[in-house]
Amino acid sequence: MTDAPLRRFYGWFTVLGLLVGALVVIAYYRDEFRDWKDYQRTFQREELRRATTPEQQALAKDLTLQVRQILLPDLNRVDRCTTCHLAVEDPSYGGYPQPLAYHPQHDQHPFDKFGCTICHRGQGRATTVADAHGAVPHWDSPMLPLKYIQASCGQCHQAADNPAAPELARGAQVFEASGCRGCHKLEGIGGIVGPELDKVGARRSPDWLKAHFLAPATVTPGSGMPPQKFSGQDLEAITLFMLSQTGETMPGFYSSMKVIPSAGEGRRLFQQKGCIGCHSVGGQGGKTGPSLDDVGLRRSPTWMIQHFQNPQAVSPGTVMPRFGFTEAEARALTDFLMNLRDQTMALTLPSLMSPVERGHEVFRKYGCIGCHGADAKGGVPNPNAKTAELVPGLTFVGDGYTKDELKARIVKGQREITPMDPKRPPPPLYMPAWGGIIQDAELDDLVAYLISLKPKSEDLGF
Amino acid sequence: MSAPRVQRLFHWFQRTRVGRSIFRVGLPQSNLERSQAMVSSFLLHVQPAKVGRHALRPSTTFGLGLISLYLFFILIGTGVLLMFYYVPSTGHAYDVMKDLQFVVSAGLIVRNMHRWAAHLMVFFVMLHLCRVFYTAAYKPPREFNWVIGTGLFLVTLGLSFTGYLLPWDQLAFWAITVGSNIAGYAPVIGPKLQFLMLGGHTVGQEALTRFYALHVIVLPSIALLMISVHLFRVRKDGGLARPDEPANTVQQMEVSQLPTNKSYGLMELARGTTPQVGLNPADEVFSWPNLVFRELLLLLATIAVVLFLAIFWNAPLEELANPIHPPNPAKAPWYFLGLQELVSYSAFWGGVVVPGVLVAGLVFLPYLDRQRRGVGRWFAPERKLATTLFTIGLIIAIVLTTIGTVFRGPNWSWQVPWKQSPAPTEGP
Repeated sequence: MTDAPLRRFYGWFTVLGLLVGALVVIAYYRDEFRDWKDYQRTFQREELRRATTPEQQALAKDLTLQVRQILLPDLNRVDRCTTCHLAVEDPSYGGYPQPLAYHPQHDQHPFDKFGCTICHRGQGRATTVADAHGAVPHWDSPMLPLKYIQASCGQCHQAADNPAAPELARGAQVFEASGCRGCHKLEGIGGIVGPELDKVGARRSPDWLKAHFLAPATVTPGSGMPPQKFSGQDLEAITLFMLSQTGETMPGFYSSMKVIPSAGEGRRLFQQKGCIGCHSVGGQGGKTGPSLDDVGLRRSPTWMIQHFQNPQAVSPGTVMPRFGFTEAEARALTDFLMNLRDQTMALTLPSLMSPVERGHEVFRKYGCIGCHGADAKGGVPNPNAKTAELVPGLTFVGDGYTKDELKARIVKGQREITPMDPKRPPPPLYMPAWGGIIQDAELDDLVAYLISLKPKSEDLGF
Repeated sequence: MSAPRVQRLFHWFQRTRVGRSIFRVGLPQSNLERSQAMVSSFLLHVQPAKVGRHALRPSTTFGLGLISLYLFFILIGTGVLLMFYYVPSTGHAYDVMKDLQFVVSAGLIVRNMHRWAAHLMVFFVMLHLCRVFYTAAYKPPREFNWVIGTGLFLVTLGLSFTGYLLPWDQLAFWAITVGSNIAGYAPVIGPKLQFLMLGGHTVGQEALTRFYALHVIVLPSIALLMISVHLFRVRKDGGLARPDEPANTVQQMEVSQLPTNKSYGLMELARGTTPQVGLNPADEVFSWPNLVFRELLLLLATIAVVLFLAIFWNAPLEELANPIHPPNPAKAPWYFLGLQELVSYSAFWGGVVVPGVLVAGLVFLPYLDRQRRGVGRWFAPERKLATTLFTIGLIIAIVLTTIGTVFRGPNWSWQVPWKQSPAPTEGP
């Protein structure tokens, strides 16, 4: 009697005990054997194979299996990519298959300061291939395809005029030239017909963006955005530019790179600081200082940079004030002035342009082109609009409106567009109210431009 | 090593000087020692030395309460491990989840176990509640233990709900937003209650701090205390309810009536419902090993199920909480989805009246249903009305929860799960 009742349970204890044991073993196995350890072992084997001296051999042997990570507290990121990509900093691994390939051209962006995901995206904290590369459910930021990698330059650097990121610069140019701002706001400038684009790059994939440009309604049913006719390269460029708009604000060190010295930035400074008050370009401007038309031939870049930072240092007794330009600003101005020999650059200096020319710039700047067409000839489809289902051209507005009436129309906009057929959905495109967005001076120029559109020949015979 | 050999090893150990100091009785060899083992061990003395055969029959309880208790222990164990890493900060909590998954040894499995054990506990506590109802085990003298039990049910929901927020992902954030909004529908005190719960008008750092404190210290302490009382009362109220239970006839003597010229043992002060009263000795077996071993087997089985779930299914983790982008639809945890479904018809009825009546009805049930028949039997015919009413309520709850869980898509519109409607579109 003594042990009989006990024995009845032995079978059950054995079965359940073994089951729990087996599950613990499986749990341990899945926890312990991870892909990254295999990659690290491969790396160690490779290091051992390549070791020629005993010291190198000892070093290779001492490689321990461990998660490697780059801590980026300023960016609130932890990048563990180097757990598998072990040789990114070793040029002798150039051309190796992934994950052991060398990362070329990283000297300006050292990994310990930038990590990996700030450019490549993906999931820095992850240590499995699928999760780290980020194309998994519930992770918003999959790795950026390499052909769009320049989009990431826009995180810290300006997009326009960026010689190091030509595709990004081209995308910015396409964006402005296509009049996207007529309907969409970006960094606070633009219309309100379509959604803001400040974070579009964080939410949309390249494929979505491309499909959207070519046929908006296929990916966003009901979208009134007119299909865009981008060439192949422009399509890629504007997709890339859109991807660069993540809306992420970078901490100080990184965002200080936002302004890079460029001729365009120099032009902006030249205009803003009123240099034209003393100096002349193309025969226009003040006479106090020398003409700057041929300054690029007379002076070296080094001289000019010094001159901007401290005029007295290179030209004792000069009356030119010390403006307190930063190094980047001085370089930008120098860039601009060295290029003045290029006459087109000089001619587009706003202060040297006529109101009509400036008005044309305003017309482009706020994306009026997007709906009213290049040179305001109209022709962009606006389904069910009474005006032949097109956005009207503006060639003859000078006949129907006075300057003040035109200004009032632009400032107030027109929310309701008269439909062709009241039973169909209302026309998707409308004229936003530009009051408060387009500056007063710009408005004067814009109206001058619009009135100038009427072909001169039309007056003949009256 | 065969089992008898393990036994011999244990016998040897308990006879050593150290062994004798630890085990007051040791591995019992005789019926006397079997009783002594139960009575003299701290961990076992909660249970009687002998137990009725009916208590061992699986169909009596299906071990539902015990499984809930085991799940609670698993949750404490895994929860403490998670606390070693967790930071209750909106800026770090989500990162900790990722670290648990990708770099902490066994981090993922521990989190998975905690998650699935939590869901299972809610589920098994509900089943336990149903069992007690259907076997009429809440009738006198067990009325108050039923009240404590419903309290434990609410504490379990509270534990699960507060834990739901801690990963700080989209799922957590919006489930708590929706759940706390339901609380806000209560008249007069609703908005105040919601503010008190969240420490603000929306879910944020204050809510996370409060939920964390409630989840790791306040509610577990309350649960532990109430579980202790619950188990204590199970014994004091006469053990598990059984059909042939004697009517509570034994009169308790007034202390003043007792002669003063002798001292009294506990037995003489005991009420008529204490465990052994009315039990037929022929129907009793020794708790060691009959009860204790069955309980241990159930523990192993519970651990096995939780481990199995944790190995093959990961606990959900969505995107980092984003207060600007609600998922469509935003859903509360599954056990509140019946309520959310009701709230979608009427905030007042679904958010206030129904849950209020439900909780009040559950708590006061033993005092409302005063019929004394049918105790200890499943679906006793004498209780047709009570059983029918409860079952109808249960079915309604299950249907509503299923609709809320499976059949509700974007904008809480009807959706058939096997025919996914296209994802809602939004601007770029």
